Amino acid sequence: MHTNQGDPMNIQFKKGVLEICVLSVLAHKDCYGYELVAEISKKIDISEGTIYPLLHRLKDEGHVTTYLQESAGGPPRKYYRLTESGRKEEHEQKEEWMQFAASVNALLERKNDAAE
Amino acid sequence: MLQNESEYIRILKDRLGGTLPREELDDIVSDYSEHFRMGLANGRTDEELWRSLGSPDDVAREIKAMHLVKRAENMKSCGNIFHAVIATVGLGLFNLVFVLAPFLLLICMVLVVFIIGVMFAVFGPFAFAYSILQLAGLPVFAIWLNPVAGVFISIGITTTGLLLVIWDYYLARFFYRVGIKYLKWNIAVIAGTEDVS
Repeated sequence: MHTNQGDPMNIQFKKGVLEICVLSVLAHKDCYGYELVAEISKKIDISEGTIYPLLHRLKDEGHVTTYLQESAGGPPRKYYRLTESGRKEEHEQKEEWMQFAASVNALLERKNDAAE
Repeated sequence: MLQNESEYIRILKDRLGGTLPREELDDIVSDYSEHFRMGLANGRTDEELWRSLGSPDDVAREIKAMHLVKRAENMKSCGNIFHAVIATVGLGLFNLVFVLAPFLLLICMVLVVFIIGVMFAVFGPFAFAYSILQLAGLPVFAIWLNPVAGVFISIGITTTGLLLVIWDYYLARFFYRVGIKYLKWNIAVIAGTEDVS
């Protein structure tokens, strides 16, 4: 058995759901990069570097935009905000994930019942 | 080698400079310098931040692959898809099997269909001319047992050849479209996950 962090299957799993996580956090509130990374790595143990290329792609696809905002006693920070299409995307992916997770859970729980 | 912000940024700029437009590169670089700045302000060290971000070479490779796939999507050409595939293959050994091998296989399929189509389309008219000569009773040795049937068969062969070539064009376009989708998915999910420890 591998450790959680090192198991490639697990890492791919995390990388695959990263997009919906980023969209979801941004649907809640606008974030600057570091804040978003901190928010997500609190819950999911993933290399912080993978989030920035993802943000870049989302921006490229028009799902997020950025704007600069002054911060208290420091240079301005780059904030990420969901666009209209980003909100739609978030909604769709969330629905999809919920359904998928519910199906998988139902299947796994049934297996446990049978084992008992 | 010093593992700090300026070195990280230098490597990113060096690896991406030739590929990405200036504006896009600046945009990406600003994210990473902000990350270092915020991290240091939060009491983390340069080395720690470097490690958690992952090597700048890997980051650059992924961004480059993303960019090249996008370019191949926007401007369809053999050269662009080739560069996109090579960049994606470069993301991990894994992709030799899951990107390069299927890519070569599809190219071979398209080529084989094209060659067969062209052969039919070239051979057909010759066979047609021959059966006409044979019908006219010219002293050529007979390749058709029945020259009338030969006329129709050779028309059939020519048409099949032309249809194959046309169909091959649509097949190639279809492969292109699906290929782009697959490369995007591959980069988003698989790339860079095999050697994270």
